[in-house]
Amino acid sequence: MADKIDIKNVAKLASIKLNQEEEDRLKNDLSMIIEHFDALSKMDLPDDKISIHPLGMSLNLAEDIASKSLTHKEALSNAPESKDGQFVVPPSLD
Amino acid sequence: MSIIPTIGMETHVELKTNSKMFCRCHVLDTELPNESLCPTCLGLPGSLPVPNKKAIEFITLLALSTNCSITNDGMFHRKNYFYPDLPKNYQISQFDLPVGTEGSLEIVVDGEFGTVEIERVHMEEDTGKSTHIGSGRIDSATSTHLDFNRAGIPLVEVVTKPLIKSSKEAVAYIEELRQLVIDLDISEGKLEKGNLRFDANISVAHEGDKELGTKVEIKNMNSLKSLEKAIEYEISRQTKMLIAEENIIQETRHWDEKKEVTSSMRSKEGSADYRYFSDPDIPNMILSNDFVNEIKTIIPELPSQKRKMFIETGLSIEDANNLGKNKNWIGDLYLSITEITGDSKSSFNWVTGELQGQLRKLEIKDLPNWVTAKNLSEIILLVKEDKISFTSGKEILANLIEQEIVPEEFASQNNLIQENNIEEISKIVEEVIENNSEVLERIANGEEKLIGFLVGQIIKISKGQVNPSVAKELLLKEISS
Amino acid sequence: MMNNYKLPISKINQLFKNKELKPSELYAETFERAAITESIIHGHLELFQEENLKKALNSDERYEKGENLGTLDGIPIAIKDNINISGYATTCSSKMLSNYISPYDATVITRLKNEGALFTGKTNLDEFAMGSSTENSAFGPTKNPWDSSRVPGGSSGGSAAVVSAGSAIASLGSDTGGSIRQPASFCGVVGFKPTYGTVSRFGLVAFASSLDQIGPITNHVEDARLIFNSMKGHDPRDATSLIESKAKQPKLKNAKIGIIKELMEDGISEDAKKEVHKVAKLLEAEGHEIIEVSLPLTKMSISIYYLIAPAECSANLSRFDGVRYGNRVPGSTSSEMMELTRANGFGPEVKKRILLGTYALSAGYYDAYYGQALKARAMMKKEFTDIYEDVDYLISPTTPSDPFKFGEKSDNQLEMYMSDLCTIPANLVGMPAISIPTGLSSQGLPLSVQIMSPSNTDNTLLDFSESLESLVAFTEEPVINGVVS
Repeated sequence: MADKIDIKNVAKLASIKLNQEEEDRLKNDLSMIIEHFDALSKMDLPDDKISIHPLGMSLNLAEDIASKSLTHKEALSNAPESKDGQFVVPPSLD
Repeated sequence: MSIIPTIGMETHVELKTNSKMFCRCHVLDTELPNESLCPTCLGLPGSLPVPNKKAIEFITLLALSTNCSITNDGMFHRKNYFYPDLPKNYQISQFDLPVGTEGSLEIVVDGEFGTVEIERVHMEEDTGKSTHIGSGRIDSATSTHLDFNRAGIPLVEVVTKPLIKSSKEAVAYIEELRQLVIDLDISEGKLEKGNLRFDANISVAHEGDKELGTKVEIKNMNSLKSLEKAIEYEISRQTKMLIAEENIIQETRHWDEKKEVTSSMRSKEGSADYRYFSDPDIPNMILSNDFVNEIKTIIPELPSQKRKMFIETGLSIEDANNLGKNKNWIGDLYLSITEITGDSKSSFNWVTGELQGQLRKLEIKDLPNWVTAKNLSEIILLVKEDKISFTSGKEILANLIEQEIVPEEFASQNNLIQENNIEEISKIVEEVIENNSEVLERIANGEEKLIGFLVGQIIKISKGQVNPSVAKELLLKEISS
Repeated sequence: MMNNYKLPISKINQLFKNKELKPSELYAETFERAAITESIIHGHLELFQEENLKKALNSDERYEKGENLGTLDGIPIAIKDNINISGYATTCSSKMLSNYISPYDATVITRLKNEGALFTGKTNLDEFAMGSSTENSAFGPTKNPWDSSRVPGGSSGGSAAVVSAGSAIASLGSDTGGSIRQPASFCGVVGFKPTYGTVSRFGLVAFASSLDQIGPITNHVEDARLIFNSMKGHDPRDATSLIESKAKQPKLKNAKIGIIKELMEDGISEDAKKEVHKVAKLLEAEGHEIIEVSLPLTKMSISIYYLIAPAECSANLSRFDGVRYGNRVPGSTSSEMMELTRANGFGPEVKKRILLGTYALSAGYYDAYYGQALKARAMMKKEFTDIYEDVDYLISPTTPSDPFKFGEKSDNQLEMYMSDLCTIPANLVGMPAISIPTGLSSQGLPLSVQIMSPSNTDNTLLDFSESLESLVAFTEEPVINGVVS
């Protein structure tokens, strides 16, 4: 069962760098949990509309009235690195 | 056997709402970075999205105007991927229940009508802006700067079916879509400002092939010119590869404006796993039939409807299409003038040529309120009936723009009324002939150019009031006799 | 003679009004309790002493003039550190946010501030609210005031412990799968999870958006009611915030109460079962009817929850990438920086749940796992709604057992997850639930009983629970390592 989980790919999708020990451990942990889901995954459940959103509440849209929230300073207050009012990160290749 | 290209267009339309899609930050047009932010659009811990009602109205307008079916019970989905300009590292978008589906848009290509089929119209939010700092090339940057003012601005994504067959068609489609969003007043529609951004999906296949070829996405086309060139280039590139039986990779390619080629964007081969799931922070978006019907009542005149009206007055498809691309008052003016003059071509030329030209020169944006269809028609008719020359007409128009005048009055007061009376003109012709015997001799010897000189003399003597063509005709008659 | 910090808030308010006690004096008492107990239990991550001295004096003045802001004016309330308070750190007990200072107030904080409440400080939790023991905090665990070798429960372990210890009159916690009720039970105090959508989530760092709710942890049910009503109500900044809606209210007299069969079977300790039976007898004597009911899908709760919660959290925690805030680990490219920042910032349990959620949502697995869980959840909601046609309330143990020892469940993830068996259903169906301490186990540790009711019957549930509370008359208090309270 553990072989089924491509932990490297999952970690890549989640953007978390794992070391070898973590990879091995998590692969096992996840497999164990997934096995536990077996009963659920095999249940024959109806395809009702109600399953689309968890709690069936109605959506209240907001009026298009703009207001100021954070100041420039507040917005950058926790920035690990900034320059000329912009957030700075290592180069992001497209 | 020919090779058929297939193109699909994905366009993002920036909506001109006051506030952002999921928060109430101002939609700002500013150079100052990170000025319009709140916990929600900055992706701070604990923040939540609340959809903008106006944006939903706008997208419904667009969906209805493109003949889409409206999804009454829709929802927002999270599209998950990591990128520095995406504050939450997921974009709130729509997956399988978009606002509009199965629509179409009438376009004009080479003076003929065409149709582009639309697959879907959906709502999503924009990302922040990345600026790569370094030697100028993306792949040798030393750092990236981020401005999140744009993050969260409402975007409507319009996706066509992969049925467009040429670069011209694609360009015409974008032009039509742009005009539509401007006429609906939901977007500024300025390409240079990024109000409308588009990517093209291109594939080629042998004629008769049931399946489409491998799809390649082309990004970074910032103008209609580059759209056309990029599509042409890519079709050519793929065609060469298909003929040589080379494998075309499904990937995203970047249009290089300077080199005029598309190039590989390394990191994006194959399709990404976005792990779409319905956004638990936003309940289902129910668009009731009442709501949809209400939006239907506020749909303004669409480009296709304007074209139809103009064509009915006698204009060609091409002229009608171009007329509709101006502000609505110009089209309305044209219609009113045509009704009075009965001459669609003249009215079209005067309105889109002379009038617009003069206003532009004087840098006047709106028509002064004393300039009306009535007095403009007067000028047009004066010229049409040969009562004044075309040049005089231009002069009267210039004066009319400046101040309130009555064209015909102004014409007679300023000696602009042309003399069309044969007798009167004949007298002047005779006078000129008498006083220019030398010139007449030279004309007789073949210097026909000098006829113009004599006509000029006639006009001079008549103080510009003689109809030049009548004068010339009479002169020639006299000379030959 | 009860210590002031154990009195009901309404009584304290009376003392303030009668000038028998000042807010600054009460605050000094709770601060003194903190001085004595914090070194042992480590419930608070940060104490707001300086600000509170000023605030308490302001409160004094208001009572002097007879102009107090409300019943909560001058009451010291501890806040779980995943709820934003402007100008203060919101760490979520994570290395990722150890240096993060919030620039805004959560809606619940604004509402409590408007009533004049004081905030003692921020309390410890399992990192990002993921856990049932507060052992997953990056800043060290909180100890149970009843026995410092035992866990206080989680994820709102700190919030429950400080109320139990007396360094706060009440606290706010958050509940996703039982994170208010279970620690409240372990610490012998009251914990209330409201109907989903009644208390705004704006400003609560999201774990699982469709399950999270903020709620009060208190010494008395009436205090929970007071705090709940001060916080509740529509918030335009939260799209899942309910607009007041009508619902058929359960009976307060001669009510029909169902004991959930599936939550009285394997995995539940004898002590826990005994408490339920004890409470059932008390209720019967009052004229209520007790029956046994079956909710078969409850058996699937853990599976459903551990698919939905990680899936939602995997996306909710994506924003922690070191770009705009957080402890950044440098990298040569931004994607490398994000991967390393997240590897370093998140603890093992958080990583596990993110990966589990990512897996459950990824291409090819959606239908079998997440999709199934959503369907099962909808069915479970129907099961509950149907049963409420027959009964007014549902009753069960809050936890399968009394508080366990540190490290006892850390090696067995599934066993740890099973501690939420009784509490998870209420989150999945969005209905209110409250935990009330009812007695001590054979080891002298607190045990509680959980009462549940249909959506939008919160105040009725609180009223009913209050009468049960008087019947039970649980008055025990912890003796913190020999310190007499």
